Amino acid sequence: MAIDHVGGAAMAPSTAVNRSRMARLQQLAPFLPAGVILVGLFMAPLAVMFVFSFWSTNENLDVVAVWTAENYINFFDNPTYVRTLLKTLVMAAAVTLASLPAAFGVAYFLARYVSRQWARFALLLIIVPFWTSYLLRVYSWQAILGEFGALNQVLQALGLISEPSRLLVYNDFATFIVLVYVYVPLAALVLYASLERFDFTQLTAGQDLGARPDQAFRHILLPQIRPGIITACIFVFIPILGEFLTPIMVGGASGLLIANLVANFFKNALIPEGAAVSFLIAAFVLLLLIVFRRYLRVEDAVARA
Amino acid sequence: MTVLDQAYTRRRFLQLSGAVGAVVGLGGVVSACSGIGSQGGTFNWMTWGDHYIDTQLKAIETSDKIIANISELSGNAEGFAKLKEVKGQLDMVSGDALWVPDAYFKDGLIEPFDINEIKVSSQLYSFAREFPIWTKPEGYLGYPFGWSPISIYYNPKFVDPAPDSWQVLLDPKYKGRLVIENQPEEIVAYMGKAAGIDDVYNMTDDQLATVKGYLEKLKPNVLKFAQQATDSVNAMISEEAYLITGNFGNEDRVKDGGGPEIRGFIPKEGTVGWMDAEMIVKGGANTSLLIPYLEKASVAENIAANFIMHGRPLFNEAAYKVLVNQGEGDRADRYRYNESEAILATTTLKGPGTSTEKSIQLFNEVFGA
Repeated sequence: MAIDHVGGAAMAPSTAVNRSRMARLQQLAPFLPAGVILVGLFMAPLAVMFVFSFWSTNENLDVVAVWTAENYINFFDNPTYVRTLLKTLVMAAAVTLASLPAAFGVAYFLARYVSRQWARFALLLIIVPFWTSYLLRVYSWQAILGEFGALNQVLQALGLISEPSRLLVYNDFATFIVLVYVYVPLAALVLYASLERFDFTQLTAGQDLGARPDQAFRHILLPQIRPGIITACIFVFIPILGEFLTPIMVGGASGLLIANLVANFFKNALIPEGAAVSFLIAAFVLLLLIVFRRYLRVEDAVARA
Repeated sequence: MTVLDQAYTRRRFLQLSGAVGAVVGLGGVVSACSGIGSQGGTFNWMTWGDHYIDTQLKAIETSDKIIANISELSGNAEGFAKLKEVKGQLDMVSGDALWVPDAYFKDGLIEPFDINEIKVSSQLYSFAREFPIWTKPEGYLGYPFGWSPISIYYNPKFVDPAPDSWQVLLDPKYKGRLVIENQPEEIVAYMGKAAGIDDVYNMTDDQLATVKGYLEKLKPNVLKFAQQATDSVNAMISEEAYLITGNFGNEDRVKDGGGPEIRGFIPKEGTVGWMDAEMIVKGGANTSLLIPYLEKASVAENIAANFIMHGRPLFNEAAYKVLVNQGEGDRADRYRYNESEAILATTTLKGPGTSTEKSIQLFNEVFGA
């Protein structure tokens, strides 16, 4: 025992450090799968893409490891790319702004007025569209908005138009409508998850203390579900920056977004050229996430008061 | 050939099912009688969806134990880029015209072979075994499959007078009435042809500047970009589109789909076209299965069935005779099945060009915001 004690006393600091390290490693263990995925499937490809974006393609469509900033210069030199990126940002912002209130209404109703059992059933209905292929869903919108589509037939039957309108599809408006349709369920799910945890009696309490309903909404509810709102914004806004299927299918010749231009490069094996534009979009998204990160903190309305 | 070139109808499918059933039955009997044996195995094939018919693959799997593990090919450039990455993981790849010698062979990705060693090649048109672009001292570069020039199709109810030129695609009368394939380099090539340029895959900067003007005139007329051939056909059937571009045979596809009578023509300025082949990948682990596979898959009956299902001319001359015997001669003639040599001689074949990157930049510049 004495030996153990002496030895133990001598080794105590290093043992403690080792234990602390082991504890830290154990804490990190659950992060390992996600870490491997993040590094292997996200960071590494991003790094490869970054390197490629500074290389070029020769006439044999081989990627040549000759360093050049030409792909980036081309992007900023050609006003079309900058204009198309700006158009994409405006489209993403418009869809986000339109999706959020629609999704919020549904999520609020379900979280506040519907029993949890029925709310889950309703949420199931909301995600039903995800069970079918994205492509099919967008194709179905061609049938709805098309010149001889369902909407035109309804409008004609109601006497609102005398001949089929060609303004409903193959333009930016159609892209906007379909993107809202695609992303509202995502936003609703995120907002519901946030609202479900909110204690709605706080709103009643606030009103009992003299707050108008809109004041209670703005000063009690919104601050507490802000992370949910920001997350919903991110879930809608960012994927739209990479949308190329909806624009090509319902946007027509004038409805292309920045991802369509990127896809044109990759389809023709012009990988460095496509990588440069992709990386600029990725860099923008990263910047956006950094900006939004500080708003993801939950604000404690009671403590603030 | 691209995924955009595929089209199906129920009637064609039923006809095909009958034909395939007969072929499968016949194949089984022939195989049993001839006692042809094969060790069998699986080979990896990157190809377009219309280069095979599932029931034919099943029949070969049953009779010869050769299984085709297929990965979808969407375009020449993409296929070429993929093969460069995976090389011998694939055994056979399909490719178009000049892509075969100028990309795949040049990069050492494919293995030339003696086409005459493949017995079924005797069923091909003789010139298809001797295309100069596919003939190298080391051997032949690919087993010829199908071909088609790009034509313009129009609905005579709306397009009048009957056009004969690419210029009809630029006519402001047809604003928002054109459906064109989602293939930027090809669209630039079409406009190159409209501008009277011959070598549209190798354009100079001046020529590209001229083409830009044509693309700008084209843009307002484009209703949408077709993701697949059926998109163009459906737009014609619904009369949403008055004009489309595509392979031979769209008159039948639109008619089969219950649409109006449409007409097609090869523009007087000339056109671009494709002819595709199956290439043997250098270093492929299972290439020994390819010739036995081709011997079975490329027999006239199978190729005739493929023609009926997918509707574009093919290089198998014996299949033309089968089609005539099956009462499908008129259809084959409408697709100009028997005129490949003459038509291809006047067509600019698809291939990797020196102006690819600038063509894409130009397309993006015009069709971006």
